[in-house]
Amino acid sequence: MTTPGTSAPDTVGTPASTGPLGTAPGVDTSPAGIDRAEGVGGSAPESPRGSHASFLSRVPRSVWPLLAFLVLFGIGGIIRPNLITIDSLIGTATFAIILAIASFGQTIAVIQAGIDLSVPNTIGFSALAFLTLVGPLGPVGAFVAALAAGAVIGFFNGVVISKLGLTPIVTTIAMNGLLFGVILLAFNFSELTVTPDFVIAITSAKISVFGISMAAVLPLGLALMVVLQLVLSFTGWGRSLFVVGSAAETARLAGLPVDRIRITGYMLSGLLAAFAGIVIVGYYQQASATMGASYLLASVAAVVVGGASIFGGRGSVVGTVGGALVLGQVSTLVTVLNLGANIQQLIYGAIILIVISLYGRRRAA
Amino acid sequence: MSVTAPPAPPVAPKPAAAASGPRFWNSTGVVRLRREGAIAPIAAFVVFFVVYVIINPELLTRFQLQTASNLVVPLALVALGQLIVVLVGGIDISIGAIMSLCNVVFATQLEHLPVPVAILLSVGVGLACGLFNGVLVAYAGLPAIAVTLASAFIFGSIAREVLDRPGGGVTKEIYLATSGELVPFVPVSLVWLAVIAVLLWLLLQRTALGRHIYGVGSNMESVRAAGINARLTKLLAFGLAGVVTSFGAMMLASSTVTGDPRSGDPYLLSSIAAVALAGAAFTGGKGSIIGTILAACTLGLIGNLLFFAGVNSYWQYVISALIIVAVVGIPVVWRRVAFFAKGARS
Amino acid sequence: MTDSLLVATDLVKTYGPVKAVRGVTFHCNPGEVLALVGENGAGKSTVAKMLAGAVAPTSGTITVDGEPLASGSVRQSRLSGVRCAFQELALVPDWTVAENLSLPDGAPLKGFSQKKAVAAASALLESLHLSRIDPRAAVSTLSLADRQLVEIARALAGRPKLLILDEASSALTPPGVEWLFARIRELTAEGGSVIYVSHRLGEIAQIADRGTVLRDGLVAGEFVRGDWTDDELISLMAGRAAERFFPDPPERTTDAVALSVTDLRSEGLRGIDLELGAGEILGIGGLQGHGQAELLRALFGAAPAVADSWTVAGRSISRTNPVRSVRLGLGYVPEDRKREGLALEMSVGENLLAPWFKAYQLGGRPRLAQERGWIDGILKALSVRTRGPNELAGSLSGGNQQKLVFGRWMDRSRRVVLLHDPTRGIDVRAKQELYRAIVDLAKEGVGILWFSTEVEELVHVCHRVVVLYQGAVADELIGDRLTADAVVGAAVGATGSLNLTTEGVAS
Repeated sequence: MTTPGTSAPDTVGTPASTGPLGTAPGVDTSPAGIDRAEGVGGSAPESPRGSHASFLSRVPRSVWPLLAFLVLFGIGGIIRPNLITIDSLIGTATFAIILAIASFGQTIAVIQAGIDLSVPNTIGFSALAFLTLVGPLGPVGAFVAALAAGAVIGFFNGVVISKLGLTPIVTTIAMNGLLFGVILLAFNFSELTVTPDFVIAITSAKISVFGISMAAVLPLGLALMVVLQLVLSFTGWGRSLFVVGSAAETARLAGLPVDRIRITGYMLSGLLAAFAGIVIVGYYQQASATMGASYLLASVAAVVVGGASIFGGRGSVVGTVGGALVLGQVSTLVTVLNLGANIQQLIYGAIILIVISLYGRRRAA
Repeated sequence: MSVTAPPAPPVAPKPAAAASGPRFWNSTGVVRLRREGAIAPIAAFVVFFVVYVIINPELLTRFQLQTASNLVVPLALVALGQLIVVLVGGIDISIGAIMSLCNVVFATQLEHLPVPVAILLSVGVGLACGLFNGVLVAYAGLPAIAVTLASAFIFGSIAREVLDRPGGGVTKEIYLATSGELVPFVPVSLVWLAVIAVLLWLLLQRTALGRHIYGVGSNMESVRAAGINARLTKLLAFGLAGVVTSFGAMMLASSTVTGDPRSGDPYLLSSIAAVALAGAAFTGGKGSIIGTILAACTLGLIGNLLFFAGVNSYWQYVISALIIVAVVGIPVVWRRVAFFAKGARS
Repeated sequence: MTDSLLVATDLVKTYGPVKAVRGVTFHCNPGEVLALVGENGAGKSTVAKMLAGAVAPTSGTITVDGEPLASGSVRQSRLSGVRCAFQELALVPDWTVAENLSLPDGAPLKGFSQKKAVAAASALLESLHLSRIDPRAAVSTLSLADRQLVEIARALAGRPKLLILDEASSALTPPGVEWLFARIRELTAEGGSVIYVSHRLGEIAQIADRGTVLRDGLVAGEFVRGDWTDDELISLMAGRAAERFFPDPPERTTDAVALSVTDLRSEGLRGIDLELGAGEILGIGGLQGHGQAELLRALFGAAPAVADSWTVAGRSISRTNPVRSVRLGLGYVPEDRKREGLALEMSVGENLLAPWFKAYQLGGRPRLAQERGWIDGILKALSVRTRGPNELAGSLSGGNQQKLVFGRWMDRSRRVVLLHDPTRGIDVRAKQELYRAIVDLAKEGVGILWFSTEVEELVHVCHRVVVLYQGAVADELIGDRLTADAVVGAAVGATGSLNLTTEGVAS
């Protein structure tokens, strides 16, 4: 029979565990170390912390930012009752969904234990490339070309990270710098004026959904979220991405094509950032070399507030939308209360600190 | 440096190869530089410098030396701050915001306080920012990248509260004291950089704390098992990084004769780039001061070089990126090729 | 017992709901060598760490010279004259030997001079007869055995009142162990005490004056020098009759070769010839750090390697990588199940399926539903104690985690499975369930290459054992020659052309 003592110090003697202090036993704090009902998939015994805690821990993480958003929305209503309207909700959500679209690529990068700091200039590059190419290629051709450019950018990020072994931070910073040079060298800003109709139609044009008027970008972003979440949760590629992010060496020794997964992951990141660039052009109908700059930290912030682990292996695009909504609602409240942009940034920082102190620690360390 | 060489007790401690190879290559100082990854950035800088002087011999005139060093010194100092954090296995996303904050504190306090007090205040602010990050990383056990992301927002917003647009009371005298010439051909800013670098080198190489900083990044658990206070070491490293960053901020404010709440923003990415080019390991424990300074000089002067070469200076962004990938990536490819070239006999 | 140097009373250490140590009391007299013995997981390492200050006891007291020991601080323990050489090396790999020896003692803001540190380290190593170790070398460049010697030297440096050696001889050759014993005798002659944590009974018989046996976190018994036999001690450690249960290897039904390689070279391997038959269990033995891990990694393609000829399941290859190896029919159970074997925050089911994800196929819950039959079969066959395929792998106990890493290769038409010490640090029942699964796998015709640090496993469950020494095959043992003594003898290079006398540890 297994007695509590025998399985407990399992990890103490493993030389390859984290280190000589054997902090690893913390991992084995599960009830599984204690005798429990025999059999596979048997009735789940109560966790020692009580069913209450185990219920809370089973709520998907992506639910929390959405709940936090609702709470903030409620708080807004208490301060200014006229904020509890569909229009106000739509307004915040539209702002948030643009940030979310810009952060989807970042989410993919963070899930695979990387980071994509080339998001800002990928946004700028694709937006400018799109506008430049509309003339020669037509809107659809330019659209496809811009997305392809994003995927190529991601491909180079992925190759340098997985084949040369450079850290993702350094690689994507270098790529960001390189793109900035290319943007300044390649595009003639004076020619960029007209935004094609079809881009406006999918972004800033008002459409009516269930009788509610909203910018087209909102349903577009939500549809993209659903598609991406399905890919992440229910395809072999998506799950492989999580294995790579959770423990790259495990993935490698299980025979998964880690490099290929990494590279395709960064390609998707780049493609999504490029898409965000086109969406931003369509919605704001302007483009500039530095148009992506504000998304450098904001995209990481949305991902972190959305509950992703900065160590990888954990995260969801639904959570990222939730994170963007939280940040968006803060922005709305700050504007309504006339607190100024500085206070907004301060609150962003505070929210990130709260989120990471709730679940940002390295697992079981 | 093979890690898993089979035990070979009878061999003399110094391998025979040491005798046949150049003595210089195995002297203690060079071995240390090699171990800290500094050889590639030093070589890159030498090549760069030679090319620069060939294209633009005017660099060696008084005016150009002064301009070039004023351009490079703030970046070098901030990169040193980033290096210290990287040495303990962290990364500082807030370093640009710390720089902006120290910059505006220095500039605004000069308006009504004596210069030494303003300097002390700015250094104190840098220290406080570093310690804030350090406490959360070392004692609360939070990931450095996420903590400093949050504090980047916080410090940045405080900086803009202190001073919302460029301004402040930096005077001509302060400019001359930090960014002028000490004697002909010796820019003051280079002297300050040298002083700070030497002090930092003494701290990192000649005190136990410095070695602890390297050790914590190399293997935190081993350091703790040896009875060293690893958390305190980490905290102090973050604090020290804040102080060094504040020096960079003051040099920038002085050389531009203005305080600017956004002046630090570009230094976030370029400081990380310089540390990467310096061959430092982002897992910690490896990286050198001289390599970081020379890497910062290389990256900082590429724009100038292109200008003098008559090339569109926008190319500097492209070339910087390619230099980083090349210098960091070539050794990796080299090792891989060398393994199969030798047929796995070592 | 007022004159005892060290008194430990009712030590308890819990990790969450798990009790690693459940109440251990013992004492150690001045000038005495006290052995602390027990199986993997009996709690002896945790006790050693509490004494060293690396781990704070949940309850219980430790006194040294009558003074209570400040708990949970290595520094305080060192200042009280208690020093420990850890089983997992506590040396900083990027520091030089000199830095590792001198840095822990200085105050942080004190000056540090490389020259002085090297001089002090040279003097220390000289005095301990280790002068062939270069104090200027980075620790990461030393061999495992040398690192262990440096670790011991550091513990000895302060002439401690109490020296704790936590499995400190695991990588040492016999001359190294002799060296260690000489140092221990010097120390005890001066009145110092030593706590010797080990499960090598031969060493304990030689050096220990008294001993305390731990089992399941409790004291199972005590013994004094000359008053015990191996069998008695083993039964005390195991809590039952000395005879332990090992299944016999299955009859081989075919002569087919599953894997063969000649002159395999890789980092740490000096040309290895190996042939593994289908349905054969081939054991790999040897001291820690003599190329066993490298061999498995090279064969799986996890480390770059080349060979003169190399065939897997009849197919000739020139080199491989993990992706290709899995396609060829290999499976690998790596050393560190938490970092290399599992994705801890993913589910049990997905961890089993990890090698079998295809980018364009389904994943996640729909895939789990598809494969439900296979997953349930594996969980049942290995008696994995889990709430089901959706539980997180990180919340299982170590033994059950190990079963997942093994189970993912079952019923997946493998030709060869490479095992890196799969039974290390897991409880007895999980061990026996794994033995059975390994034997069952072999019955199906899978070739098993099994590196184990437990000699008994190699002797009883394997058809044949190859012992590695310094990255090469030292001996191959089969039939009557396959005995525990022969495995240990070959492991220390006592057979064949390798002559140890020229390679003494002492200079």
